[in-house]
Amino acid sequence: MNGAHASIRDVLYDAPGPKAKRRIAFVTVISLLALAALLAAIVRRFYVTGQLDPKYWSIFLRYTTWRFIGRGLLGTLQVAAASSVLAFAAGMLLMMARVCRYRVLNAIATFIIELSRGIPTLLFIYFFFLLAPQFGLQLPSFWRITLPVSISAMGVTAEALRSGVNAVPRGQTEAAVSLGMRSASVFFKIVFPQGFRYVIPTLISEMVIVFKDTTYAYVVNYADLMQNAKVLISNYDALLAVYLVVAVIYIVINYLINKLAATVERRTRAAVAAAK
Amino acid sequence: MSNGKIISQEPIIELKHIDKHFGSLHVLKDINLTVHKGEVVVIIGPSGSGKSTLCRTINRLETIDSGEIVIDGSVMPKEGKKLAELRSQIGMVFQSFNLFAHKTILDNVTIAPRDVLKKSKREAEEEAMQLLKRVGVDSQAGKVPAQLSGGQQQRVAIARSLAMHPKAILFDEPTSALDPEMIGEVLDVMTELARDGMTMVIVTHEMNFARRVADRVIFMDGGSILEEAAPEEFFAAPKTQRARDFLNSLGDRESRS
Ligand SMILES: Nc1ncnc2c1ncn2[C@@H]1O[C@H](COP(=O)(O)OP(=O)(O)O)[C@@H](O)[C@H]1O
Ligand SMILES: [Mg+2]
Repeated sequence: MNGAHASIRDVLYDAPGPKAKRRIAFVTVISLLALAALLAAIVRRFYVTGQLDPKYWSIFLRYTTWRFIGRGLLGTLQVAAASSVLAFAAGMLLMMARVCRYRVLNAIATFIIELSRGIPTLLFIYFFFLLAPQFGLQLPSFWRITLPVSISAMGVTAEALRSGVNAVPRGQTEAAVSLGMRSASVFFKIVFPQGFRYVIPTLISEMVIVFKDTTYAYVVNYADLMQNAKVLISNYDALLAVYLVVAVIYIVINYLINKLAATVERRTRAAVAAAK
Repeated sequence: MSNGKIISQEPIIELKHIDKHFGSLHVLKDINLTVHKGEVVVIIGPSGSGKSTLCRTINRLETIDSGEIVIDGSVMPKEGKKLAELRSQIGMVFQSFNLFAHKTILDNVTIAPRDVLKKSKREAEEEAMQLLKRVGVDSQAGKVPAQLSGGQQQRVAIARSLAMHPKAILFDEPTSALDPEMIGEVLDVMTELARDGMTMVIVTHEMNFARRVADRVIFMDGGSILEEAAPEEFFAAPKTQRARDFLNSLGDRESRS
């Protein structure tokens, strides 16, 4: 592989020769034409049904529309941030319980992790939204979305952290132990900091999942981006316009998170490679 | 004893009737060994004979099935605070260095004195710099291990051990992972330590070095100590056939390469 930028494509295929290059050019042109045709068909469809009418788009010329979208985005970001922090904290505890020396804790942590990973987020949301109130647990809507999203993400987080910790060479622990360090010190000062570095990119990628899960906020009537978009749609009937704008916002944010993950991955990979 | 060195009769490490299995493999068979203060014991033997395992049982990186390990008069317990304390009194230098990859060279040397001995940062760093100077890598103090050569890393590992003021240091093939041109610099540091009176247990295939620094040579094969003698005696006239075969095979290897 040629260095840090080798992709799976470079691994699977040889560098293209002249014949392959012609074929690639051909496929590229055909794909672009097909894509253009598809887009044209879609736009035509919207035109016919009147979705391109200026009255649906003029709302985006108004400051209040953007302020409303901005409030929704802020709500989304708050839930995403709180969920990420909670999922990390809970994931950390679960990981430690899973690797510690007490069998009971190992088993309990494994069980919780499997539940967290195996149950869809929506089910956790229904639990806090529909079931919990019957037992007298009345939560504000912020927590009705944040808790289930965190619970849904903590299992994956725990497993990511565990894979990092397991990847730290045994010799690191042995060296620390033979210097007389106790197990808590060995874990927190030697093993965890290294294992954590290995999985930073994975953890950031998981933030994308958390971020997408926040769109369930509409189920619990929490004013996130999605919820406010729905309000706009029902007020102005501007289905296409609003969804398009909101989709672009989600794409941009997830793109930024992925970009961050890629940057961090490149850096940590360089650091890990240098450490070997 | 060799080197004209006078060795005290004060035992630092005592292994009494140590037995150990890896599954069905009887890897250590009734090992009895006493290392006295200031003594340099070199363990040699064919690959797989249990040298590393013996070395690692001394500070309980490996558990034992039966027997007793006594460090400077204290029986080594199976676990807990006392075990950590006794481990801190016995240094260990590994074949693969095992420097802490995420810490600078200076931090590698100071972390245990600060964490275990509760030394202040300043005190630990001052001493660490002296130790790094002693092993000749003080100019690298701010770098991370990956930026150093193997020989430099192993010398840092020795400094890291010394920072705990150990009563003895165990070396498990400290030069086996090194390029040939770096072996000398590590052996020089070890020779110096031996001269300064450090108690050392060394597993090595460097026979010239063994001849030079050992007060006593232990020959192991198949999990047992087969011979135990002063180096001049052992190398001149090994008593067992297996030791003769082993030394011959080494001779072959050296003449071939
Ligand atoms: N963790 C382990 N599990 C199982 N067998 C082991 C383990 N470590 C070492 N052994 C076996 O024990 C024997 C002695 O190993 P070792 O002490 O490393 O020998 P030496 O250092 O003399 O080459 C070998 O047969 C080796 O395969
Ligand atoms: Mg070995």
